[in-house]
Amino acid sequence: MDLLGMMLAILGAAIAAGFAGSGSSIGVGIAGEAGAGVMTEDPGKFGLVLLLQALPGTQGIYGLLIAFFAILKVGLLGGGAAVAVNVWQGLGIFFACLPVGIAGYFSAIAQGKTCAACIQMIAKRPEETGKAVILPAMVETYAVLGLLTSIILLNGIQI
Amino acid sequence: MAVASIKKVEFYVHNSVVEDVLSILQKTGTCEIVSRQDVDEVDSHSTAHLQRIDSLLSETRFLLRFFEPFYEDSVPPMARALGERPDFSVEELASLAEKTDLLQLAEHIRTLERRLIEIRSEITQIDSTKAILSHITELPYSLELVSRGTRFVGGFVGMLPVEQIAGWKQAIEKNLGDAGEFFIASYEEKEKEAWVALFCRRDKEQEALDLCSKYGFSRIEIPDTLTESVGEELLRLETRRESLLKEEEKIEMQASSEATKWMPTTRALSDYWNILKSKYEVLSNSEFTDKTVIIKSWIPEVAVPKVEEQLKQYRAVLEIAVSDPSPEDAPPTLLVNKGWVLPFETLTKLYGLPKYGELDPSPLLAPFFFVFFGMCLGDGGYGLIMLGFFLFFMKKFKRMPEGVKNFITLFILSGISTIFVGALTGSWFGDLIDVFGVFKFIRPIKNIPVVLDPMNDPMTVLFISLGLGTIQIFFGLFVAFYDSLRKKDYMGAFADQGGWILFLLGLLLIGGTVSGKLPASLSGPSKATAAAGALVLVLTQGRAKSGVVQKAISGVMSLYNVTSYLGDVLSYSRLLALGLASAAIGSIINMLASLAMGIPFIGWVLALILIFGGHLFSVAVNILGAFVHSLRLQYVEFFSKFYSGGGRSFAPLTYNTSFVTISETKEA
Repeated sequence: MDLLGMMLAILGAAIAAGFAGSGSSIGVGIAGEAGAGVMTEDPGKFGLVLLLQALPGTQGIYGLLIAFFAILKVGLLGGGAAVAVNVWQGLGIFFACLPVGIAGYFSAIAQGKTCAACIQMIAKRPEETGKAVILPAMVETYAVLGLLTSIILLNGIQI
Repeated sequence: MAVASIKKVEFYVHNSVVEDVLSILQKTGTCEIVSRQDVDEVDSHSTAHLQRIDSLLSETRFLLRFFEPFYEDSVPPMARALGERPDFSVEELASLAEKTDLLQLAEHIRTLERRLIEIRSEITQIDSTKAILSHITELPYSLELVSRGTRFVGGFVGMLPVEQIAGWKQAIEKNLGDAGEFFIASYEEKEKEAWVALFCRRDKEQEALDLCSKYGFSRIEIPDTLTESVGEELLRLETRRESLLKEEEKIEMQASSEATKWMPTTRALSDYWNILKSKYEVLSNSEFTDKTVIIKSWIPEVAVPKVEEQLKQYRAVLEIAVSDPSPEDAPPTLLVNKGWVLPFETLTKLYGLPKYGELDPSPLLAPFFFVFFGMCLGDGGYGLIMLGFFLFFMKKFKRMPEGVKNFITLFILSGISTIFVGALTGSWFGDLIDVFGVFKFIRPIKNIPVVLDPMNDPMTVLFISLGLGTIQIFFGLFVAFYDSLRKKDYMGAFADQGGWILFLLGLLLIGGTVSGKLPASLSGPSKATAAAGALVLVLTQGRAKSGVVQKAISGVMSLYNVTSYLGDVLSYSRLLALGLASAAIGSIINMLASLAMGIPFIGWVLALILIFGGHLFSVAVNILGAFVHSLRLQYVEFFSKFYSGGGRSFAPLTYNTSFVTISETKEA
């Protein structure tokens, strides 16, 4: 039973990084497919396409961030002694990691689809890149809110 | 202030000088010509010019396309886009056009191209014939029998499925007997089809073909130019191919030398004729009478005197009528701003210009974007990288166009903001200075300006972010208030904006007194403010509806919009999130690097690689995020209070070049 708290915390970190990262990879992949299509017609648009393709990638970074926070909190990283974590603290950390994992996953996929559509928009209208970058950023709002919630929750758990 | 005042200017020009007048207007570059809506009669004079220019331009396009693979550009395309171009004056271009017989050059190049295409297709043909012949090298007879045949004997070559061979052989012996002779090329065990040939007497030819098709024979045509034995033909084809390749090489070298000689001229001429084309297009789009041409245009008020001055010499044959735009007109928008606002103008342009007569939001969003970008990126080291990178760009490409320069300046300013915030939060490449003992001596210096560390105290930063958000939203409402007053919409000003300002201010104050941050004595006044605001809103928000009940209901429902304001304020929490994210990624990289240091012998190399690569990656990702989210806050939370865009950009008649810079523009 001693280790259950620690393990729950690790599970939380795993879910945060894993789900958010999966969402980002799917989103970036969807955007990349659209980008490849646009570049068959005009390879010169590579820079713009790459910019738009990179946008759904931030959710994976947010998930990694929270995973690191969680791992740091239970003292698994950094070479120092592991901290004693009881079951409730571990469970708390697990729950705190959920917002960024879930919100990151779904928002990254949605953002990927938006980016794909925006890539197709700049294929016909490259002068509208400014607007094309803002539309996916609207979707990312919710990933940011998920990150914020996870940060605040993690911050509030006392080990 | 920032949207230039535009005047409607009509020129009544006598035919004889209209081209010169247009050249002068093109040189000033301050004149947007209004095209005619109805084009029933077209000026034949300009049409002839346009046709000539269009045919010249299509020749230049062909030449540019052809020369492109052969030309070694000393200036990479990106540098060219950033202004590294040769200078020409319009007269120099005109004399260049006179001297160069472009049509003859194009004709010569076309013959080269044609020959190259012929050679390449012949080589392809040779290759395919060689492929066929390589399968039947053991053919006992010369190919003449198969390609043409003699009077009594003919033959054909083709492929036959391997399992059918036995049956086919039997059928031939049975049906044709002496009149037919077959040949089977040697084949591998695994192949499904074999190459075969059948020779027969002419009178049995059709019967033989029918027989073959029963066994799945597919005939391959042998061109009748092949007459010798297979070996000899293969040799002949090979020699021909080599001579073709040599010829191709020679022509390519010729093309390459022509490219080196003519490419710069072709590019300059392409730009020259495009300049002329825009001039003549204006002419063909203008109204005209027997002796005059009427050109309608928009000119910024400040530029009108200069235009009149430049056209003074034509006063006898020219009439200029200057007037203000009328309400039905849709003048274009030209933004005019002071130096420090110019970089932020690019952000407005990205969203969309204001309509003529609306406010220019560029100076309004400038301070907010500056601060927000700094907060989102928030690292001194990253700011220094940005500063260094973009300053280098500025120094290297001294002649870059105005728009690009403003954009780069924007990033330089943002870098400065980032350095400030980084210093205030003690973040230099994350916590690099704290993690690595080698920097121990810098630590006290680093800690001097530190006010706040987001990693340790996120709540304070959150309140700062939300506070800034509240400030920006109120500012937006005040701007809308001012704008309504300016347009003399007093009802809108006091009812819509005034009502909300009072209500929200009151709610804020109530929140302050309740949570204890403000003295309790303010409780009464704050409730009064909120109540007053709510009352104004309830009374006025339904004014578009009919009937007292409807008005009242709409008024009360409008109070519900307070949730959208709440959402707007919460949106600013991303400043904390992004700032934290960049600090945290930095500290993770540093932690990994410090762990790598522990590895014996090569640890410090790995650590250096991690630090360089990791922080570089972090800079790129975080700059993208900081830019996009700071911008989004301006566009969605700030603009929505008072700005809608929808303006048309001022598009003057000017020198539109891709390859050269016209030196006259530099004097102006």
